[in-house]
Amino acid sequence: MPLENPFQDPLRFERRMPECAIVIFGASGDLTKRKLIPALYRLAFDRRLAAGFAVIGVSRTPLGDDGFRDKMREAVRSFSEDTKFDEDVWNAFARGLFYVAGDAGDPALFVRLGQKLAEIEKERQTGGNVLFYLSLQPSQYAAAALGLGGAGLGKGNGWRRLVVEKPFGRDLASARELSGQIHQVFDESDVYRIDHYLGKETVQNILAMRFGNGIFEPLWNRRYVNHVQITAAESIGVEGRGAYYQEAGALADMIQNHLLQVMATIAMEPTASFRAASVRDERSKLLRSIRPMTPDEIRVNAVPGQYGPARVGGEDLPGFRQEPGVKRQSPTDTYAAATFFVENWRWAGVPFYMRTGKRLPKRVTEIAVQFNPAPLTLFHGGAEGTPNLLILRIQPEEGISLKFLSKRPGAAFELRPVSMDFNYGSSFGERSPSAYETLLLDAIIGDATLYTRQDMVEASWAVVEPIQNVWRETAFDFPNYAAGTWGPAASEQMLARRGHAWRAP
Amino acid sequence: MAASISADRILRELADLWAATGQEHDEDGSGVLRACSMTLIVLAEEGDDMEALGETIAALMPEYPARTILVRLGGTGAPALAERVYSQCWMPFGQRRQICCERIEITASAASLADLPSLLPPLAAPDLPVLLWWRSARLLGTPEYRKLAAIADKAIVDSSGLEDQKAALPMLVQMAQGEAILGDLSWTLLTRWREMLSGVFESRECQARLPDISNVAVGFAGVRPPVFAWYMGAWVANALSDAGVHAYLTWQPRRELTGRALRVDLTGGDFHVSLERHDDRLSVEAGCLSHFTNLPQPTDYLLMSEELGIVRRDPVFERTLATAARLAAASIT
Repeated sequence: MPLENPFQDPLRFERRMPECAIVIFGASGDLTKRKLIPALYRLAFDRRLAAGFAVIGVSRTPLGDDGFRDKMREAVRSFSEDTKFDEDVWNAFARGLFYVAGDAGDPALFVRLGQKLAEIEKERQTGGNVLFYLSLQPSQYAAAALGLGGAGLGKGNGWRRLVVEKPFGRDLASARELSGQIHQVFDESDVYRIDHYLGKETVQNILAMRFGNGIFEPLWNRRYVNHVQITAAESIGVEGRGAYYQEAGALADMIQNHLLQVMATIAMEPTASFRAASVRDERSKLLRSIRPMTPDEIRVNAVPGQYGPARVGGEDLPGFRQEPGVKRQSPTDTYAAATFFVENWRWAGVPFYMRTGKRLPKRVTEIAVQFNPAPLTLFHGGAEGTPNLLILRIQPEEGISLKFLSKRPGAAFELRPVSMDFNYGSSFGERSPSAYETLLLDAIIGDATLYTRQDMVEASWAVVEPIQNVWRETAFDFPNYAAGTWGPAASEQMLARRGHAWRAP
Repeated sequence: MAASISADRILRELADLWAATGQEHDEDGSGVLRACSMTLIVLAEEGDDMEALGETIAALMPEYPARTILVRLGGTGAPALAERVYSQCWMPFGQRRQICCERIEITASAASLADLPSLLPPLAAPDLPVLLWWRSARLLGTPEYRKLAAIADKAIVDSSGLEDQKAALPMLVQMAQGEAILGDLSWTLLTRWREMLSGVFESRECQARLPDISNVAVGFAGVRPPVFAWYMGAWVANALSDAGVHAYLTWQPRRELTGRALRVDLTGGDFHVSLERHDDRLSVEAGCLSHFTNLPQPTDYLLMSEELGIVRRDPVFERTLATAARLAAASIT
């Protein structure tokens, strides 16, 4: 029997997709409806899925295969924004959709799931490969993993992989405990902790920009970089997720995972190869090089915030404590800012400022690398001293801008800042795959480059947990910023102490 | 039309064009962004639908922003050349700043064709690849083609326009031996078909059935196999041969097929794989599995969009072309 597919043409074909079944725990949830199934349908529409493919939804809601198909059909119609709904493509895709009802805490569910998987493996030729996707409440992760192990589903004829959504633990101890439970069933190499930020095209483009070009890397160090600002701002509030959000907060919900991963991508050392292990090793090393702060340092280098009510654009917006499901005295941070330092030769002394929050003036995620000014002031007239900035925009308008000074046309020697832009969406007009399309494909193919590893999760918690502890013990005077503003004044002061200021994205 | 035009003058006009475009957009504060990732030379015949071609080029620009040099061949008699330059801009969704590409249009009489190989190189954007989209079936493989192809990194042709499809294959083999990489849109239109067939054999069960395959049939519309049908058969034969399988290969005219549609069947014992187009979808039957996927009709835009993305040698195509030429030469079809 030949070992390789002789029909492959890597130059022209998309990546090879092995046959497999995807089991989604939490199939009645929002993530399945809004992201996962639309992403899989899009992959089917684009001919990216193997013929031997199936999805098994698992949830407590009593439902049959046909009922599940009907629900998912509506989901695809409603949430596949940029993909045409094609009846024939859907029908072929839907023939591979199945459903098993049950509770992740009930061992009988896993017996039924095992039977269903065996039937599907034969009927749909999935080759025994199974990707388990936990889109559950975090408190159910361990039960689901152990349930799979108890029914012997952690091993099979093909590969078995587990995808886990964030948050991975509430702190360092719980993250370690969860990993330990999962490792009873799955090897670390088969655990894919999803961070959808890493699946975004522009976050991946940071790697391309840094390591595919020769001109940036020589400047990428403490000698030329003055400081780095990472901003992830949302203009919306908690949008009905108040009950969940008040247990998490901005620090744990955004900084512990997404933003520290983005920082690791910006600041990591060049990798020896683009293999998953090399890239993840470098990200992990960087995270471990972030200096954990003492309580005294935290008081001046980390700022929590919570939005209060305000009237914005003619609309009365509630404060966080007035949101449904939120306690009236909730101490949850809806805004978090922090200054981090990386203790290595490349970055020693360079502040990495990070901020994230809800109900800020606009939705924007970007990284601004500010370079040191020119050593001599040769020109006069206003703009000199304006720093060079390299802006990496992640959303909404993905792209890269370099700001520099140029002579204003005319007799006088006056400088003015100009911007050189690369716009990802318009320079390459192709549709960018959604983060979930990219990450699902990667997991099916077995490429863990864009997934976080246990040591990376632990390193992030080691940085964030001391801040959590200090904030938990401190009574803050919340709310401390009005909805529609750029956060508490203390956040501006945090930068001002080093002679810096947040840029207005 | 004048007998000659100067590259310097065209480049000056281009510079003036950008200055004017910049000023125009400065007034409303939005600015303009110039984008260029290659030079695309398009050689079109007088009878080409220029409006449709213009639309295709415009559609390609957001994906492959280029300095486009459109050469319109027209008129017999004395050598005559004319040119004009203009920009093409578009507003990316949700943004204020326009992105613009530049286009140079040159009209050349048949007698001026010989002047183009010296005129075009200085007009190419420096340090970027030059791609030639050769739309003239009439001049394919001629000395004029060879001279213009020599200034390009890649020449893209469409063999489907050639009168004698079987005779086209040895000519394409010769063209592929030139300096420029050769791309043929008759090959490009098979990519999605080939990918789906390949997808069938990603399954271990189907891969295990490869040795059972004894017959391969490529069905086509019309009387004689078009180049793309030769390509399909040759590609399947090469792949099977790599797997140690030697199947009987046939090309069959099929009345139910029209235009550039195909039907591909791989059979042996109780194993059967078939691919067939149904309107905008491709159906794949493989054993007990059936699969439907989106397959838009092949337009110039879709085919060129794929070819412009590949500026390096395509070993699978080159091998397929050689096999197809050999099979066609040995065939009595």
